[in-house]
Amino acid sequence: MFDFSIVTQWIHSLLTSFLPEEVAVFIECVAIGVCILLGYAIIAIIMIFMERKVCAAFQCRLGPMRVGPWGTIQVFADVFKMLIKEIIAIRHSDKFLYNLAPYIVILASILAFSCLPFSKGMEVLDFNVGIFFLMAASSIGVVGILLAGWSSNNKYSLIGAMRSGAQMISYELSTSLSLLTIIVLTDTMQFSEIVERQADGWFLFKGHIPAFIAFVIYLIAGNAEVNRGPFDLPEAESELTAGYHTEYSGMHFGLFYVAEFVNLFIIAGVAATIFLGGWMPLHIPGLDGFNTIMDYIPGFVWFFGKAFFVVWILMWFKWTFPRLRIDQILTLEWKYLVPIGLLNLLLMVIIVVFDLHF
Amino acid sequence: MKERRSYLGGLLHGINTLLTGMKVTGREFFTPKVTEQYPENRATLEISPRFRGRLTMPVDAEGNNKCIACGLCQMACPNDTIHITSETILDESTGKKKKVLVKYEYDLGACMFCQLCVNACPHHAIEFSTEFENAVFDRNTLVQTLNKK
Amino acid sequence: MITIEPEKIHKALADLRSEGYDFLRSLTGMDWGEEGLGVVYHLGKTTTGENTVVKTATLNREHPELPSVCDLWKAAEFNEREVYDYFGIRFIGHPDMRRLYLREDWVGHPFRKDYDESLNPLRMTNEEPDDVTHHYEELPDGSVIKKREVIFDQDEYIINIGPQHPATHGVLRFRVSLEGEIIKKLDVHCGYIHRGIEKMCESLTYPQTLALTDRLDYLAAHHNRHALCMCIEKALGLEVSERVQYIRTIMDELQRIDSHLLFFSCLCMDLGALTAFFYGFRDREKILDIFEATTGGRLIQNYNTIGGVQADIAPDFVKKVKEFIAWLRPTLKEYHEVFTGNIIAHGRLDGVGVLSREDAISFGATGGTGRASGWACDVRKRHPYAMYSKVDFKEIIRTEGDCFARYMVRMDEIVESMNIIEQLIDNIPEGSFQEKTKAIIKLPEGSWYSAVEGSRGEFGVYLESRGDKYPYRLKFRSTGLPLVSIMDTVCRGAKIADLIAIGGTVDYVVPDIDR
Repeated sequence: MFDFSIVTQWIHSLLTSFLPEEVAVFIECVAIGVCILLGYAIIAIIMIFMERKVCAAFQCRLGPMRVGPWGTIQVFADVFKMLIKEIIAIRHSDKFLYNLAPYIVILASILAFSCLPFSKGMEVLDFNVGIFFLMAASSIGVVGILLAGWSSNNKYSLIGAMRSGAQMISYELSTSLSLLTIIVLTDTMQFSEIVERQADGWFLFKGHIPAFIAFVIYLIAGNAEVNRGPFDLPEAESELTAGYHTEYSGMHFGLFYVAEFVNLFIIAGVAATIFLGGWMPLHIPGLDGFNTIMDYIPGFVWFFGKAFFVVWILMWFKWTFPRLRIDQILTLEWKYLVPIGLLNLLLMVIIVVFDLHF
Repeated sequence: MKERRSYLGGLLHGINTLLTGMKVTGREFFTPKVTEQYPENRATLEISPRFRGRLTMPVDAEGNNKCIACGLCQMACPNDTIHITSETILDESTGKKKKVLVKYEYDLGACMFCQLCVNACPHHAIEFSTEFENAVFDRNTLVQTLNKK
Repeated sequence: MITIEPEKIHKALADLRSEGYDFLRSLTGMDWGEEGLGVVYHLGKTTTGENTVVKTATLNREHPELPSVCDLWKAAEFNEREVYDYFGIRFIGHPDMRRLYLREDWVGHPFRKDYDESLNPLRMTNEEPDDVTHHYEELPDGSVIKKREVIFDQDEYIINIGPQHPATHGVLRFRVSLEGEIIKKLDVHCGYIHRGIEKMCESLTYPQTLALTDRLDYLAAHHNRHALCMCIEKALGLEVSERVQYIRTIMDELQRIDSHLLFFSCLCMDLGALTAFFYGFRDREKILDIFEATTGGRLIQNYNTIGGVQADIAPDFVKKVKEFIAWLRPTLKEYHEVFTGNIIAHGRLDGVGVLSREDAISFGATGGTGRASGWACDVRKRHPYAMYSKVDFKEIIRTEGDCFARYMVRMDEIVESMNIIEQLIDNIPEGSFQEKTKAIIKLPEGSWYSAVEGSRGEFGVYLESRGDKYPYRLKFRSTGLPLVSIMDTVCRGAKIADLIAIGGTVDYVVPDIDR
């Protein structure tokens, strides 16, 4: 298995060989920041294209076909369109908050994005409370959405934002509970550690039924947290036209749009890391030959393969189900997911205490 | 739900219905798609011969149309889409006065394709063609003169 | 037709109401010129299906006043507003005497025969939104006073849904007062696609009027035209051949399937299930292809004519229809799997927007909406026309009156329509598809009403002729107007998201409301 940290260490030693330590670290930080932004943009473009094609396939359509072969250039054309569109200032809106909101959303999204371990040794933010940090960082997004709705001076936006606030804060609970279930199993919150512990089998398989239940809850709650169908009612287009980003145009809208898709990827990436072993290849204890072959496939292929598979499942959800109503969303959360999540946590604790897991 | 279900029963029932739905969409994911790629598939496009695209005035091999400028179509039109200019000339072979068509103007932009003009025509001089790509850049070009020759 | 003095009309109608005439089928404003301005009431008994027609007229052209019948039939609320809008007749006791379709600053009343068109040039200013209405009250001494009434208070949280909104299915506008997410009050604004079709018809010959009916409810194009053709044929005493009757019936039912498939699709889209929307549209396309082959049109078809149909059925029509039915039956199961059975769909539709049977009858909400409330209102059963008396089909009735019932009624009607078509499609008799008519059609003096079951309720045509080649008055009983008039009653207390579900299942088509 190729360890990417060899590369990073080589760069570090190269830089420190002719630069003072501080300057080298500074340059590395900038380089990594640029890489993350670049990766973020690439993931967004892939996600948007994938969403269009997958949704089209579910709906018996072909999706974009005109711009480039199989419509591959379509997303670039859209981004270009969005970049050249005017950013309209709304009368009577709170200008400062109105302009700030999309950046808060995108900031939260980028912070969470940097936590993902893409491959062995390819972690950016990796410390002992990694999951905790991820949850905290991704929660900032709701502030941006509330601000967007509040400052737009639009009743639709306001209702959308309020719905969003209620929904995202509620569902954060379920996401955390299901992640906590796995943390009980791993006794660490560091992403790299969590992945390493899955070398002899992914947690989805190691953790018995509770891990599976936690996985399902995580998918549902994660889907709700990024405001995607069937939980997309903050932006329910048939009720609130576009919810909290109704009044945004140009790249400000683009930031919301991109953040929504990358958030979906982050949810899928975290699910892949925590439940499906992240970049860890599929290992079956006892079959050493098989395991060695699997190790030849690079880690990032595994990671992106798993993440996009989860994304595909979430898209399948979205493009199958009708939208829930706000009270039904909260019922689902507080009457079903939270109690089941808590019980599940208890079950996992029992399994861990009596050492019943694999 | 008609009957009250228990908490767990309701949950399982709900999950079951959701999975049924996902089965259908999942199956559809792999079926052939129905999208028609329109401008590219012009050659294979099927249009019913009865489709009312725009009014035309067919001509025979010599380029003569059958219009006798009677004006029935103009009268039948609910939207005043048709304007006929005619003149009376002396037919040399019979020596009788005869009305002939000078200009047959048709405003495609105002036409609502009700077919009343075609029904009214006693000589089948006008008919609808299946040509449907009627978009133009200038609305004045929608006013067409049908008797070109 | 009974004529009653305006002073006695309310009493007479109240008597009829207590006799069991609980269904106000149609309320038509009239300008009879010398005989004054008046109203024609078409009443029906839901128990026996008996009908009666009552008319009244006031000679006062300056301030025409008639008593309102809102207290007897709720259907009168919107219809009397329409009459006020068109003829300027003020209805004493009507709670909300605003114009229904035209702008508040419109001068005059266009359906009066002495109306001056030049008073209303194209206005380039916006209409000021005004949350104030007025009503007229009769004092004990006989004088009438105008009272002002506020619809929405200043401090109410009002959101505007429409006229440009993805869920109003066209340019309908609701002003909704909210308490959190709960709807407190709803005010309907119509008229954004008002084209004055009835007014236009008064200057068109009978064949020309036919061209406009397809544009009322475009999802019931065949039904609308069928009704008008039936009405004119009734007036002419023209019998159409059996072949035409068969073709018309089959076309009507295909149109109904078409409309209900679109209903299914749009409801799914409104509730966020966009995938089911595409399935519905994919399948509707097949019907449109069948239509196109025979009629030459897909949406606007111009098929029925006076005394027949425009063209004989296409050579492969029978085969195509059979193929389609064989294809749709399994597909419907798929719909039920992907949407009907879905727990989220149940959660969104069950028990939402309940319309009681009494309200349905009182508002005259016919069609699937009425039948979902337990009212057997199908014109095909009550007053069979065309081939409906000879085919065997079930009238789908549910009693819950909620969104889910309205949805299921339509889904089941698709199956019934397929059954009807299957009974007819193999036995289309030979014969001519068009009876001979005179070149210029003139109707004798008189008035006629005929109704068909449109895709979303009873579509009626009231025709009054004075012996000309133009109708003196042509009124279309809109299927959609009663449906939007129930919205306020049904939506109160529901959530804003339910408004979308209710609007979707009530299934109005806006060009039909506004005409």
